[in-house]
Order: sequence, then structure tokens, then C-alpha cells
Amino acid sequence: MMLAATIPTYTWSQAFADLGQIAPIATLTGFMLFAIVTDLVIPIKRRSGVVAMVAVVGLSYSLGTAVYRWLYATGGPAYSGMATGDNFALFFDILFAGLGILTVAISHSYLQKRGMREGEFHILMLAAVIGMMVLASATSLVTVFLGLELLSIALYVASGFARDDSRSQEAAAKYLLVGGFASAFVLYGMALIYGASGTTLLPDIAKQVSTLSPTNPLLILGVVLMGVGFAFKVSAAPFHMWTPDVYQGAPIPVTAFMSVGTKAAAFAMIVRVFAGGLPHLAPEWQALLAFVSATSMIVGNLTAISQSSLKRLLAYSGIAQAGYVLIGVIAGGKAGLAAVLYYLFVYMFMNFGAFAVVTLLAGPDGDRDRISDLSGLYKRNWPMAVLMTIFMLSLAGFPPTVGFFGKLFLFTAGVSAGYTWLVVVAVLMSVVSVYYYVRVLIPVWSTTTRAAEPLRASISSTSAIALSGVLSVVLGLYPTSLLIAAQLGAGPYSP
Amino acid sequence: MTLTSIWLLPLIGGVLIAFMPPRFAKWFGVLVALVTLGISAGVALAFAPGFHGYQFPEQVAWIPQLHVFYHLGVDGISIWLVVLNALLTVIAVLATPVTMKNVNRFIGLLLAMSAGMAGVFLAVDLVLFYVFWEAMLIPAYFLLWLFGEGERPGRAAIKFVLYTLAGSLLMLVGVIGEYVFTGQQTFDLAKLATIPPAAAVQFGLFFVFALAFAIKVPLFPFHGWLPDAYMAAPTPMLVIFAGVMGKTGAYGMLRILVPLFPNPVDWWDWRWVIPALAVAAIIWGALMAIAQRDMKLLVAYSSVSHMGFIVLGIFSYNIQGQQGAVLQMVNHGIIIPALFLFVAWIADRTGTRDRSALAGLASRMPVMAGVFTIVVLAALGLPGLNSFVGEFMTLLGAWERAPVLAVIGAVGLVLAPVYMLRMFQGAMYGEPAGPRPSGDIYAGQLALMAPLVILMFAIGIYPYALTQLMTSVAQVGLYR
Repeated sequence: MMLAATIPTYTWSQAFADLGQIAPIATLTGFMLFAIVTDLVIPIKRRSGVVAMVAVVGLSYSLGTAVYRWLYATGGPAYSGMATGDNFALFFDILFAGLGILTVAISHSYLQKRGMREGEFHILMLAAVIGMMVLASATSLVTVFLGLELLSIALYVASGFARDDSRSQEAAAKYLLVGGFASAFVLYGMALIYGASGTTLLPDIAKQVSTLSPTNPLLILGVVLMGVGFAFKVSAAPFHMWTPDVYQGAPIPVTAFMSVGTKAAAFAMIVRVFAGGLPHLAPEWQALLAFVSATSMIVGNLTAISQSSLKRLLAYSGIAQAGYVLIGVIAGGKAGLAAVLYYLFVYMFMNFGAFAVVTLLAGPDGDRDRISDLSGLYKRNWPMAVLMTIFMLSLAGFPPTVGFFGKLFLFTAGVSAGYTWLVVVAVLMSVVSVYYYVRVLIPVWSTTTRAAEPLRASISSTSAIALSGVLSVVLGLYPTSLLIAAQLGAGPYSP
Repeated sequence: MTLTSIWLLPLIGGVLIAFMPPRFAKWFGVLVALVTLGISAGVALAFAPGFHGYQFPEQVAWIPQLHVFYHLGVDGISIWLVVLNALLTVIAVLATPVTMKNVNRFIGLLLAMSAGMAGVFLAVDLVLFYVFWEAMLIPAYFLLWLFGEGERPGRAAIKFVLYTLAGSLLMLVGVIGEYVFTGQQTFDLAKLATIPPAAAVQFGLFFVFALAFAIKVPLFPFHGWLPDAYMAAPTPMLVIFAGVMGKTGAYGMLRILVPLFPNPVDWWDWRWVIPALAVAAIIWGALMAIAQRDMKLLVAYSSVSHMGFIVLGIFSYNIQGQQGAVLQMVNHGIIIPALFLFVAWIADRTGTRDRSALAGLASRMPVMAGVFTIVVLAALGLPGLNSFVGEFMTLLGAWERAPVLAVIGAVGLVLAPVYMLRMFQGAMYGEPAGPRPSGDIYAGQLALMAPLVILMFAIGIYPYALTQLMTSVAQVGLYR
């Protein structure tokens, strides 16, 4: 009905305007195709570096485009309302492009060390970034699903990238099966919402739903099914079972990328669909998400205590962190969503940084991710020990790192919106979290370990980790600019 | 910039020292600490008595979206704690042996911790206060863990951090609650003091703040972390750990609990709960001190007892009690480090801290015994020395509030000579027995003790020098 009205008037100028709205995605898609061709034509010996270079240039170009549009262009709906180039989308475009650059920076030396083929890896990362960007720009259920699948499929393959490692294969299979389930849940929920409202465009759904009774079973079931699927994707308890296994099995750069990117993309999707499409059902999905948030914080933090693998520990910590971020989504409004955007952005640096340090430990035979593998890190490479300390303290929420300020904003929004009980749960669980984050630091600074051989880090890895570490402190000491950006990004969903 | 330099200078100095060759670390650290002390003392001298408001204010918008300001200021209460912190930092750095392993890191962390505590006393904005409050835990944790004594210092360190965080993260809810529930959207302490939240909210917020401060002080029955942490803490760290960090909790009580929550009464009256716990701490700490044979532990428990007087004074809700409490914070900050230093020196010379294994040290270490006498007498509250005035004022305030509090609290004054003199007499006098000390204290150690002893006399004889500034406070709601 809506489509039929708009298609006949589609003109070239409209086509260019639409393309402009999704410029960061379009440029990155172009570079991904170029990277595929490069990978095919360049001789195998010189391939890896060139593809990495193409990926970095593409991501930088996309990042630049997003920043340019943020500063100088007006965002608006594109493709008959299927997608948008508003500030919310651009904020996430910048985040994902930045994350992509960081990932390429740490994975180059990792892949060489483990003797893996590099070309495909970077292309998969580009595909996943594109999927995330699509998700952040989606204003239609169809586009949401498109982005979700694009990102998921790329990551299914990437998780199994260590082809001779059975754990990596196991991770890929698990992720595929569980992820397929989650997608099916989301799709079923979407179908029900479509059935109730008669449209897939989110703004139109919002209009239609306002005329319906909130007790309409189609809507309730739709919200519940989508909520379950979304909770899978942000790895929130009680739908988190896949996370530790997949994080542990996948090659570390993939885990690092996934732990930040998938989470941020899924939160963008939750905000787009719930806050954007179903504001009239807010009490329903807020109740659902409040339950999921509390369970995630409790399960994630308590389970993380007993982990001996860093990847699993960070996986459970990620589950808990998803719980914290959900508080902001539930609180909503300008303060809540700005806090969510701020937290997701800084989470990129602290969580990615922690994984990146673990990446350095990897040997040719596989990842070394036991907590004891960090022992004597300050003797092997003291800047990395200092940076790891910053990441852990930031994840634990100590001032003056970004983790504290992120939590301050989230919790302030939560208390303002009347969710004091949820904030109290979060705070009590943060105490628990300090125990396991600090436990990671014990081998790092332990004085009793004998000196091991120095830990070498490539220039690109070092600069990626150092940048993450510096920003983990600077964005906390000076949070204003990023918070303004987050508020602008949250603009479309804050009255 | 004056007040900023008081916390920023030791922080920057500390970071530089941590990466400096160990042989320069101590003297550079002393230099940094001395300059900081100089600035702090300058601020105290330039302080205008009788001016009601924050002096030397510095205010910059920090997070405008949440109305958070980088806002520093001193008033008649905080100025003395800032000076005390700076003074004890100098002594702590001087007391650090240069032969210690990784001495540069140790001094760096020491200065960072001192910087955090200075920030707590200087902050006027509640978020800034919280930031310093939490940040000072990081160096404290690493100091306890990496340089701690005993079997498992890591365990003591994590116990301390988790105990403290359990309180202070709940306090974060309180900080946010003040912002939201007062309806004013401000974190400014002076402003918040004028707008108490609704009764039921006040009751809850008081609880979360009080818990954080009670753990930090520590107040009975929240002192579980203290014996382990004090036993693990190396002596130079203990100088500022016991001397200043406990005071941050008492300072928070005076600065936040009293003025911001004038009436925390719902189905329970918090205004009586805390003084009751304070009295319990006085008695419990003294009894535990009597039971100890390890002198370090004895002094640690005596500290619990003395902190009880401070809390009792604060919650007497009148001017004598609260001024006495501030005075007593300074006094305690002078006496406790001195006691710990003596215990460490005795242990260093004789190889044991067990008071029952030592006897007749006075004839073998005459200089040490002489100075130790003064410190012990100050600790048990002899008139003419500093502690007497403070304890007297707090008890006077408590009497005005409710005579029963003062009467039970005064039992602590009776118990103090029991544990102090028993330790002193047993170790110092009688037939020389036990391990033979390798010598008396050095002249350097005597010089280290000199400023503390001089202050014990000076404050004891002329406490008005301190209390005259204490009347100029910047918040309404204090002294009531």
C-alpha cells in the first residue's frame, strides 16, 4: 500500500539522495567488492597485506563519510522509509567503522602468527560491519532482518575461521544453530507485528499500534518473540548460553569484534524496533527487558567469578554489561538513550582493548587465554600491563576511567526513570564484578613469576591497543563531547 | 589552581616517580610531598577565619549535561585534613626504606593515594567527591597487594577493596538519588544542604551514604577488613592509610550525612543508630585491643576505639561535638602513625611485635622509650597533650545530646590506659628479657618523629589555633 504510492515517482535525483543517506554503507560495500577482486587478482604471497590495506582504507573512508554527514548533512528517510541516515545511524556507523579498523589492526599479525589466510578474513569483517551498519540504519522490519542476517552469516563463518581447530568449528556450528533460532524468533515476532499493524515500516507501525489495544495477543506475542531474539543477540541472560562457548572457540580477533560489534548492533536494533516502532507498548517491553537486564547482571557476574579462561570470563562479563546497558534502554528518553550510546561507544575501547591484549598472547598453535597465561606480563611488556590494568579497571567501573562515567550516566537515567531497584541490583553486582576483574590483574603484576621472554607486539596492534587505552581514560576525564554526540545520536528517539 | 595543585602535583609526581630509577625515587618523592605540604600550609595560613563559604574556590563545568562541576574549595573543616594529609605524606615517604624492592613504584603509588585523599577533602561537587573516593582505592589496593606483609597480602587487599566497594557503590545510588530526588538536579554540596529530600527518601539515602562511610571509618560492626588490611599494610603506607584514609569516612559523615539529611527518620531514627554504634566501637575496639599480644594489631584496634569518639562527636549534632571531632581527626592522624612507626621500629630492632615477648627495652633503647612515652601518653588522652582536648570536646558534645552516650563513651577513656600502659610497661620496663635489640632508633627516625611530637604538644597546649578556623564552614546544617 505504502510502497505502491511511492515507487512510480522514483527519480534519479531521488536515487542519489537515497544513496547519500546511506553513504557510509554504500562506500564500504564498494570497498568490500574491491577487496574481493583484489583478493582474486593479487598473487597469493602479497595478497594478505594488500587486502588488509584495502579494508582499512575502506573503513576509514566510510568513517570519514559518516563524520562528514554527521557534521554537514541532514539525515532523513531513504528508500521509501526502509532506511535512514539520521544521527542515530551515523553514530553507530562511526562506531562500527572504528571497530572495524581496530579489528584489522590487531588481526593482521595474529593471522600471520597462526598461519591463516588473511584475505577472506578481512572481507568477512567488512561484510559484518556492513551488516551492522544496515541494522543501525534500518527503519523497516525487513531492513532490520536484512542487516541482522548479513552480520550474523559473516560472523558464523568468521567464528569457524580456524579451520584446523575443532573448538573453532564447534563454535561456528553452535553459533549457526543458536543464531538461526534467534533469527527465527525475531522473524516470527516481526510477522506477528506485521499481522497486527499491516506494515513493516517502523514509523507506520508506531502509528498503527497506537490505535490498537495493547492487550492485542498478536502484539504481545510479537513483542515477546522479538524480545527473546534480541536478548539472544545482545547475549543477555537467560538467552546467553551460546556466548561463552562461541567466544571461547572463535579466533580472538573475531571474539573481540563480535563482543563489541554484535552487542552494539543488537542494541541499535532494540532501540530502532522497540523505542522507534512500538513506543505504545513501552510498559510491556520495558517489563520484559527489566527482567532480562536483572537476570543478565546476576547470572553474568556470578558465573564470571569461577572462570579460568579469559575469553569465557570476558564473555560472562559481556553478559553482565549487556544488563547494565539495558537499564538505559528501559529508562529511555534523551538521558537514557544517550547513556546507552555513550556506553556502547566506550565499551568498544575497554572491551576490545582487553581482548586485544589477549590476542597478543596467542601462539602459532592456538590462542592462549587462560588467566595464568598473563603471568609476568609487566615483565614481558610493561606498557601492555598498564593498558590491561586500565581496561580491567574501566570494565569494573572505577573512576576516572570511561567505565565509571558510562555507568554513572546509565544509572542516573535509570533512577530518574523510576528503576531504582534495577540500579541497586546493578550496583551490588558491580561489587561482585570487581572481584573477577581484579583477579585478572593478579598474574599481570605478580612479582613471584619468573621472567619470561619479552612479548612482541606489532606496531599496528600496539597502536590499536594504546589508542583504546588512552581513549578509555580521556573520554572519561572529558566525557562532554562524546555525551553531546550521544545525545544528538539519540535525538530521533528522544522527545 | 592552588587547590588543584594540591592533588594534581602528587599525582603527576607519583606517575613520574613510578617510572624513575629507584635510587632517585625517595628524594624526588620527598620533594614533591614537601612542595605539596608547602602549598597546603600556605592555604591554611591565608585562610580567612570568619568567612562562611568555600575559600579558594575553583569551578569549571565538567559534565554540563548532568550539571557536574569540577568544583574545589576548602572551609574550616577540610583545611585541616588537607594539611594533615600533606604532612603525613611527607612522613610516609621519608619513612620508606630506600632498600625496598621497587621503591619507585611504592612511592609513586603512595603519592597517588595521597592525591586521591586530598581530592576527597577538596571536592565540593558530589560526583567529584565520589570520583576521588573511588579512585583512591586503586593505589591502595596495589600498595596492599604488591607491597603487603604477611602470608597473603593479596587476600587482605581484595577483602579491603570489596568491603569498601560494597559500601561505596551503593553510595553511587545515593549520589544519583540526591540528584534526582531533591528535584534540583545539582550535585553541589552547599546547595544540596539547603534542599533536604522528602522524609522517606532521606531515610533511604542516609542509609546508603552512612553504610559507605561507616565501612571506611570503620565503625563497629563494619570493621571486618581492618585487622587484615592493617596487618598487611607496610608501615610507610600505614602512616597515611591509618592516618588519613579512615578520616575520609568521618569527613564524609560530617560533610554529607549531617547537613544533607537533617531528619533521617522514618520507622527508625538513624540519628540515634550511628551514635549507638560509635559508643559500641569505642568499647569494642578497646576490649579487642586489650586482648591483643601483637602490638600492631593492638594499635589497629585502638584506632577503632578512637574513631568511635570522632563519630560520636559528629553525631552529637552540636558545635562542641563536631569541632571536637574535627580536632580529634587531626589528633588521631598524628598519634596513630606515630604509634605504628614505633611498633615497626621495635619490630625491626628486636624481630618481634609480640608485647609479651619483650621486656625492659627502656634500658636498651633509652631514646626510643623516651619519645614513645610521650606518644603513648598522648594516645591515652593525658591533659596537656593533643588527644585530651579533642576527646573532651566530643564527650562534652555527646553529653549535651544525651548523657548516657557520654557516660558509656567515657568508659573507653578508662580502657585506653589499660591497653596502652600494659603494652608500654610490659615492653619497656622490668628486667630486660626477650630478643636483644640491635640498637636504638636512628637520629633520622627521631627527626621523623619530631614534627609529630611537637604537634602533640602544640595542639594540646593551644587547640584554639585549629578550632578558631573551624567556625567558618561553608554549608548550612553543620553544627546543629
